[in-house]
Amino acid sequence: MTSATQGTRRSGPPLLETRDLVIKFGGVTAANNVSMQIEAGRNLAIIGPNGAGKTTFLNICTGWLKPQQGKVFLEGEDITTLPPRKIVQRGVARAFQIPQLFTEHTALENLLISAAARDGMRNPLQSLHRIRQRDEMMHLLDLVNCADVADRTVVELSEGQRKLIDIAVALALKPRLLLMDEPTSGVASSQKHEVMEILVGALAEAGVTSVFVEHDMGIVARHADEVAVWNAGNVQLRGTPDEILEHPDVIRDVIGEEVA
Amino acid sequence: MNLTIFLLALFDGISYAALVFIVALGLTLIFGVMRILNIAHGSLYAIGAYATVSLTGFFLALGFSPIFAFPLMIISAVLVGMLLGGPIEWLLLRRIYDKPEVLQLLVTFAVFMILEDAQRLVWGTQPYFQASALQALGNITLFGVTYTVYQLILLPLVAIGLLFGLRFFLRRTVIGKLILATTEDREAAQSIGIDADRVFLFTFIVGAVLAGLGGALASPTTSILPGMGADMIVLSFAVVATAGLGQIEGAAVAALLIGLGRSFAVYVWPEVAVLVPYLIMVLVLLIRPQGLFGSPVARKI
Repeated sequence: MTSATQGTRRSGPPLLETRDLVIKFGGVTAANNVSMQIEAGRNLAIIGPNGAGKTTFLNICTGWLKPQQGKVFLEGEDITTLPPRKIVQRGVARAFQIPQLFTEHTALENLLISAAARDGMRNPLQSLHRIRQRDEMMHLLDLVNCADVADRTVVELSEGQRKLIDIAVALALKPRLLLMDEPTSGVASSQKHEVMEILVGALAEAGVTSVFVEHDMGIVARHADEVAVWNAGNVQLRGTPDEILEHPDVIRDVIGEEVA
Repeated sequence: MNLTIFLLALFDGISYAALVFIVALGLTLIFGVMRILNIAHGSLYAIGAYATVSLTGFFLALGFSPIFAFPLMIISAVLVGMLLGGPIEWLLLRRIYDKPEVLQLLVTFAVFMILEDAQRLVWGTQPYFQASALQALGNITLFGVTYTVYQLILLPLVAIGLLFGLRFFLRRTVIGKLILATTEDREAAQSIGIDADRVFLFTFIVGAVLAGLGGALASPTTSILPGMGADMIVLSFAVVATAGLGQIEGAAVAALLIGLGRSFAVYVWPEVAVLVPYLIMVLVLLIRPQGLFGSPVARKI
């Protein structure tokens, strides 16, 4: 296993840590003793063939799936058995392959709903548009270059805009860690890098660590700080994009398929 | 039909529509958000009425002024919502959201049957009558027709207030938006940290309070007796179905349509008066199966 990044930041427990996660669906082992450490401040890409357990890993970290064995720690705190919404409140947000926006509401309202949920409905009878986070939410929309469509309903927006707003919605939860499933899937290939650039910039600005599943090696090479290769329910390799993308095993098992 | 009879029918229809609308509002809110057709809504209505009559009788016997009946109505409605609505959602409905509609219907029907018998155990089968609130507000004469202020002015005002209040609450307030968000996509709501269980519990309690309030407001205008809950659930369901399930403004129009249809029939063709609400519903649904204001695909609130 390549471990170029280990030991870079070692003050206290890692941001997220999993120990010996096991989960089986029928005969398929989707997580096979996964032990991962995710350090703060880096964008980690997860690559690997379909069915390798990448999404399962994200689902376990966010509480949507409960492992049959093993534990998940957030800064040393055991969050394995917490329901998803409590994990969100503790700072682990999730963006899905298909943006989960409230399509009948405007972009800004989607963020405001997030902000209100984050604050646990402190002033439930207040007007949504008067809540004090409004400026903060406009700033987030600005971060993802979507301030101009703040008052459009989600159905009117392009797929790329929805992706970015979905990320802004996740950022509205003030997460420390954002887990994303193919952040640029569905976006026209000519715009993928642009969307990813905005996204990575927004994450850096907001000080959010990210983990994203990605199939596009061009995106991985350009936007990830670190890459983990998943295979058969476990991490096979981990290292910098350069190390990983030139690794013979990866070329054979992951990239080779796409080139051929 | 002379003017006096026309006005009487009109006033009857308006006051009746106001009451039915208040109950239907709770029913349609619960359906719109939780996709559960709550048959027990009728019992909550009846118990709201019984509770108001008992509480009012008790406090009036202690020498309180009849005006005191009004806060007691609100108290009764809130008690119904919290003490019955809360546990029904928390103990029963929460377990069956992902079950087939038939099962959900059977469960709420079972709750309805249990509550009907519970009413007989607590209040017996003799009718109650307690009209202090009605009398406290006096009468008003309009175009030569004398009618109670309670029925002609208060009930419609409360109904209109609730219609706009609920609209404002859902569309403008934070909690309303969270309810709508949860209605639209429960999983997405949970993934941004909304406690969907709490949102549903809260919504159901609000709906149950509306049922109880309907009963409380109806209590001075009618005899309180077993079976009143069954009548009301059927009628308010007719209103909700005519409007389109989950349609709040539509329910107001449908309640007026059905209330006026019924009250005019009472004067013009009394033999069919009981049938009129359902004839209206059948007619509307034959032409527009999704209801007057319903959209055929998705529900909205």
